[in-house]
Amino acid sequence: MKIELNNVVPKFLEKEKIAASEIWNSGHIFSKGESIQVVAPSGSGKTSLIHFLYGMRKDYSGNILFNDTKIKSLNAVKLADIRALHFSIIFQDLRLFHNFSVLNNIEIKRSLAPYHEPSKAKEMAERLGLGGKLSQKAGTCSYGEQQRIAIIRALQQPFDFILMDEPFSHLDEVNAGKAMELIEEEATARGAGIILADLQPITHFNSNKTLHL
Amino acid sequence: MPAPQKISYRTIAPYLYSGSYISRFFSYAGLAVGVMLLLSCVQMYINIDQLLRDKNPRKNGYDFISVTKTISNENMGRDNRFSDADIEELKKQPFISDAAPMLSNQFRVKMSAGNIIPFSTDLFLESVRNEFIDTLPPSFQWHEGQEDVPIIFSADFLEMYNVFAPSQDLPQLSEKTIGAVNIVLECYATDGTSHNFRGHIVAVSDRINSVIVPQTFLEWGNKTFGNGTAQAAARVFVKTTDANSAPLQQYLTQKDYHVNKDRTKFGRIKTTLQAIVAGLGGLAVLVVLLSVLLFSFYLQLMISRSKDNLYLLLTLGYSPLWLSRTMTKKWLPLYGTIIIIALAATEFFQYMFQKNFVAGQDLLSPYLNGYVLILSGVLFLLCVLANYSLIKRQLHRL
Repeated sequence: MKIELNNVVPKFLEKEKIAASEIWNSGHIFSKGESIQVVAPSGSGKTSLIHFLYGMRKDYSGNILFNDTKIKSLNAVKLADIRALHFSIIFQDLRLFHNFSVLNNIEIKRSLAPYHEPSKAKEMAERLGLGGKLSQKAGTCSYGEQQRIAIIRALQQPFDFILMDEPFSHLDEVNAGKAMELIEEEATARGAGIILADLQPITHFNSNKTLHL
Repeated sequence: MPAPQKISYRTIAPYLYSGSYISRFFSYAGLAVGVMLLLSCVQMYINIDQLLRDKNPRKNGYDFISVTKTISNENMGRDNRFSDADIEELKKQPFISDAAPMLSNQFRVKMSAGNIIPFSTDLFLESVRNEFIDTLPPSFQWHEGQEDVPIIFSADFLEMYNVFAPSQDLPQLSEKTIGAVNIVLECYATDGTSHNFRGHIVAVSDRINSVIVPQTFLEWGNKTFGNGTAQAAARVFVKTTDANSAPLQQYLTQKDYHVNKDRTKFGRIKTTLQAIVAGLGGLAVLVVLLSVLLFSFYLQLMISRSKDNLYLLLTLGYSPLWLSRTMTKKWLPLYGTIIIIALAATEFFQYMFQKNFVAGQDLLSPYLNGYVLILSGVLFLLCVLANYSLIKRQLHRL
């Protein structure tokens, strides 16, 4: 299981930024089990990279391959299959069902391809300090809480890679540490790789490699 | 890792907009009424076809009608007999199974009933191929040298005779006794010589309005007493699966051929009734289409109001194929119920129609025709397919 980047260049990015990047317009292979930290300032294409990898956008040249298959060429059904079983994601903008409870938000992902029993999801919520919030509407939770809901949701499915886009931007150091620990535990249990994009290097993250975008 | 659980419509139902119950109810009710109307129209169309087809005397499932050319003031002086080409053309029509000319006598024939019944008249004789005769006894044969000539007599002529017989002091005759009457057929040649044959009425025919003798006798007679040249027939007997079929009616009108109006009156009634029912059927199709359209508006509204949620479900890994199928399946029981209700109502109408409005109840089944059942299945599939393709298209647009 691997992700391969071959001369990927976003169509909208300035040439100078592409030239200065360690990722754009070069070749990389991310293998299952590897932990990659992508560090870059705002506007250098972190979110775009995560979206390219997840198959949500195609406005780039070059190729991204998952197990030798071009992500760009996958149809909606095959893409859905990859998202349900191989790639998990934590969006920068979280993407929760705001009118549904915290538990509903976690369960809707768990029901699709359950990796854990429902009790495990509740246990994770307890661990990240959301135990008392499970029946509360996600939209009424604070940003920090919403970020933790998105993290717990991402850990309910089987995956080979977990893609994270500024996953701790609303969390304090203590909560970020707890969340990273949980993510690493879950990734290790699956033998999965982690690709984390952020503004600064995350100190709690034991990455194998750091790349500057 | 727990065993994979089965996700169903229930899993995603809360994330979809359910909409107003009233607008949905109207689309369901409209569909039920439309389908019922359509099925009833088709069943009624078939009923009319069956009821009016079976009214005529039939032989082995065929109707036999006598066709002549219409005599008008314009064509009175011309030869209005059928040429061989005319008969061949008749035979070639898909709705005509066979056609045979009616040969007539080209010599003078006088019939008398001997001494018992003092009755005498000039007569015409005709012959037609045996398979066109409805009441054909084995004795209806003639060979040269035979003095007895079997005759098949029109039931209408017998009725006419019985009407005027009492006023002329003649005995009335039944179909059975007429066979016992000794008839003398006096055939006159062109040179004035004559020959007498003994005639026997061996059968009475409802179908053929004429005096029929075996073809062998008439051919021999025409050669012996007439001038011997073959003459074209003035009328042709036509064998068809349905004398009331619309294409036959159109063909006869177009060729300006004349048929006994009484024999084809059901054809004209049937054409009119079926046109009315077809018109109603067209209306029913419109109602069905409008209901499906109303429901499709509801589906579009539902998808458009649930757009954000559906998009997020797709982003999280829910397959668009699974979503389209699951959302379509959700309406299957409902559509099934609507079609079954419409079928049950149509069956009820058919039962009541057969019991209360049809005189000969054995002519019509109280149950729905197979085509109606097939049509209901087709309508069900069409509704489901229309929904499926709409949902699929809408999801792809997200």
